[in-house]
Amino acid sequence: MVKEIPSSAQSSKSVPKSLAPLAPLAPLAALAIGLVVLTASASPAGAQTFSRAFAVSPESSELEVVNQAGTIKVTAGAHQSKIVINARQSDGAAKIDATQSALGKVKVEVTGRGRVDFEIAVPASSSIDLLSYRGAIVVTNLAGAVRARVTDGDIQIAGLRSARVEARCTQGNISFSGEVLPTGSYTLKSFSGRVDAILPADADFKLSASTFRGGIYLGAFQMKFNKRSHQLVEGSHGAGRASISLWTQEGSIYLHSKP
Amino acid sequence: MECRAVVSSLSDYLDGRNIWMSDDEVEQIETHLTNCPACRNLKLEFSEIKNAACELPLHTPSSALWTRISKAMESEISTENGSVRETQSASGWWNWLNSHRYTFSLPQLAAAGALAVILIFGRFSGIFGANPAPLNLKGAQSALLLPEEDEIKADLERRLYVVNSRKAQWDSQIRADFEQRLNMIDESLKLCRYKLEGDPKDADQQDRVRALYDEKRKLLEDVERLKW
Repeated sequence: MVKEIPSSAQSSKSVPKSLAPLAPLAPLAALAIGLVVLTASASPAGAQTFSRAFAVSPESSELEVVNQAGTIKVTAGAHQSKIVINARQSDGAAKIDATQSALGKVKVEVTGRGRVDFEIAVPASSSIDLLSYRGAIVVTNLAGAVRARVTDGDIQIAGLRSARVEARCTQGNISFSGEVLPTGSYTLKSFSGRVDAILPADADFKLSASTFRGGIYLGAFQMKFNKRSHQLVEGSHGAGRASISLWTQEGSIYLHSKP
Repeated sequence: MECRAVVSSLSDYLDGRNIWMSDDEVEQIETHLTNCPACRNLKLEFSEIKNAACELPLHTPSSALWTRISKAMESEISTENGSVRETQSASGWWNWLNSHRYTFSLPQLAAAGALAVILIFGRFSGIFGANPAPLNLKGAQSALLLPEEDEIKADLERRLYVVNSRKAQWDSQIRADFEQRLNMIDESLKLCRYKLEGDPKDADQQDRVRALYDEKRKLLEDVERLKW
């Protein structure tokens, strides 16, 4: 490929007369083209991108993503009636299918082997259901129901204003940060990682937290306890309206308050 | 437990036949494996061999081979039947028994005598009553500790069956990862059940066991959803 790039040593005699005034810029042009070629060859062989957009109803927008390996990032997008999917396939022979059902639900499914990283923008009120066997899940600024499941990887949920959250991983950490709505149900479970919940200092919730090997740290929350040991806490904060369930077998549980 | 004892039980342990072992024995093996790198390596090697064996293709013999075998068996059976019929019709079964030469060693005779004594004593002392208690060979691991445990186990077995039937198509690394995670959960489950056995009415410990079953179900659900 590099051999095909015009050499900077080309004589000005071979340059057409109309381009003669530009002849002094030829070395710079060659350098620029060379850089482009080098940059392109530095990216992984076989890397492919995938982009699709679906028109959805902002009130009932639904998204499901099933990925084998790779990161899934979902965030509230600028468009309130569109789901925009961008994916990058780094290697392997994975195939990405994105379809929309008659009811408007968008399903993205990866088949075959290989890593695929997704960046998806959805209407803020969308309900999402994400699964990745290996890789992280990052969800930000949504207000709809969130279900996230990873076998091997971390889950990070931030800026949420959702009434229903279920995040689970077998091997990885979970971090949740967001509002606690009065009727909300929040379940964060990791078999062998730590669970962090960053909640408003004045949140109303009843808590069930359990670990087998780790500890439970409640931060600044002054709670009324029904049960309390190093590995099991049941109690409430404020009026105890929302329900928060935190579990880890091998790790620890941390509650943090934010003003 | 010594290495020699662990090595001799390792095959059964890996094949999931540890239900025939006592809980103490299983625990001793696991404790030994945690502390002994040599046996742990051996366990890994055994697991790899077992996994590799599962991947070997099945070969079905040709129908011609089966025809040859069945003909050979038929001719052998008809020859044997002919000679037995002649013997039995001539002198009956007592003569047939007498026609064989039996030799017994002293230990064999002693064992037979002891067995006879046990049978006679048992008959009269009521050991072999009309309704003998069933032997619980599976040990406490199979005893139900949750009211709904039977249903949970049935559901998990069904899911595991589906997943196992697909596993051959998976990447070997993914298969190994999946099995490792499943084992991790199973080990925790075993440990929590063991604790629950100490106090079967402990509601918190019951919840721990439920949470682990739930985690196992979720893991199986996930891999059922994935199309490798």
